Amino acid sequence: MTTAEHSEDIENIVDCQNLSIHRDMREVLHNASCCIPINALTFIVGENGSGKTTLVQSILGLLPITNGEIKLNSKSKKELVFGYVPQSVNFSKHIQMTVSEYLKYSASVPSDLIEETLSIVDFPETHLHNRLTELSGGQTQKLLLAAELFRSPDILFLDEPLSNVDDSSEKHIIDVILGIKNQGVAIVIITHDWQMVSSYADHVICLNTNFLCELSSSCICKNSLSKLNIRNIQKATPDPQSSHPGYCYIENI
Amino acid sequence: MDFFELFSIPFIIRALIGSVLLSIIFGLFGTFIVPRRISFMADGISHASLLGIAFGLFIGTYPLIYAFLVAAIFGFILAKVSESSRITEDGFIGILLTGGMSGALILLSFVPGYKPELFSYLFGNILSIEWMDLYILAAFFVITLVILYSQWRPLVMSTMHVELAQVLRMPIKRTRYFLFVGTAIALIAGVKLLGVILVSALLITPVLTANQIGTTFKSTLILTLIIGTLGSIVGIILSYVFDIPTGPAIALLLVAMFTVSLVYSNLFKNIKV
Repeated sequence: MTTAEHSEDIENIVDCQNLSIHRDMREVLHNASCCIPINALTFIVGENGSGKTTLVQSILGLLPITNGEIKLNSKSKKELVFGYVPQSVNFSKHIQMTVSEYLKYSASVPSDLIEETLSIVDFPETHLHNRLTELSGGQTQKLLLAAELFRSPDILFLDEPLSNVDDSSEKHIIDVILGIKNQGVAIVIITHDWQMVSSYADHVICLNTNFLCELSSSCICKNSLSKLNIRNIQKATPDPQSSHPGYCYIENI
Repeated sequence: MDFFELFSIPFIIRALIGSVLLSIIFGLFGTFIVPRRISFMADGISHASLLGIAFGLFIGTYPLIYAFLVAAIFGFILAKVSESSRITEDGFIGILLTGGMSGALILLSFVPGYKPELFSYLFGNILSIEWMDLYILAAFFVITLVILYSQWRPLVMSTMHVELAQVLRMPIKRTRYFLFVGTAIALIAGVKLLGVILVSALLITPVLTANQIGTTFKSTLILTLIIGTLGSIVGIILSYVFDIPTGPAIALLLVAMFTVSLVYSNLFKNIKV
């Protein structure tokens, strides 16, 4: 069940309580609870198939939940605006839509603001009239991010936002994400990039019993990760015993 | 007979007006049906609606009323089934097609005597288009345009990517039902011109032809409407001049235009609209 509440004084924009979610007849999450703090950069981490995307899609309303509750908290009476950039998108090949047309349809971007909207995410101007099917994975992610940013969401979900982006654009995209976080947008990023987690996380949601999370910005993985990344995270764990008030832990089945 | 005298013949005028209205409706629906990879729906629904035609002939009343009813119900069921992850759309369309046609053939076996009107419904007959048909078609045309206008953005976005349209909180379920039921009704509206066997040509072929030449959504849509309208107008004229059946004339002309566009797009890849 998804409910919406509004209050001037809220800590979490989303509260998930005792969620159970099935996907293709298989239970992916069982009795899981977590929250997404307001004005924070939250990372969702976990091994492949642990239910990261499923959790996000359920919060977005794309997947029904079997049990539990998703509470959406808003500061105003207005419905929360969600933004979502999937890791990869397969647009229909049989519809000839250009980059500028996509921005008009998806985010109602006026013609005179299209170039400016794309420049925010470092999207090449020369590709403005390219068809969507001609774009690379990284360009598509940038385009989707540009469209979502124009819509001014209250909460923005990004699924592996840097996975297809080249090195030169990576820093730019991170700066853009940090910039909108500072404007008060709650950001949720699904990632396997532990360097990114240890550098920028305000809050971490781990979806695997193999992860031991004691602090925000400090997750130790017992396996599956490269030693380099583990070392980096351990370095960022000054006191693994202390707890963080915004910390959430999801135990995957 | 002088060529321009053609346009003073009442049944030709009715056929031309009807074909323009139908080409626009089909072009608009086809723009969303073809990219969703459910073009087979056009054949499935139109063939299955023979069940309604057979029922009308069986009880001796106007058969197209029952064909409209059958098509609308099948369109609705198909929209419902497309929500299921356990039944594929094309598989279910195949079931509708075979089930509907089998029922129709059994019903027709109980209708005694020669059934000349059946061939009109199978292959189209412009002589059978009455003014009343055009009034009904015009009303359907206006309703379709109004709904399409109000649902345009959700239709475009859900055709592009369903999940993203859902995140935008667009009414994708409502637009899907409108698209499926609207297309099903449009197909039956085109039966008198093209017949149930060939009516899908006007839904599918102009979109695929335009896709070879157009580079933007807007230009492809405009080309679709032009190609469909041109194909059906010229097809009607050719069928009258050469005394050939109208439905096949239009369908064959559209196929010829598609072939030319295919050659054009392969030879002149850089010249696009």
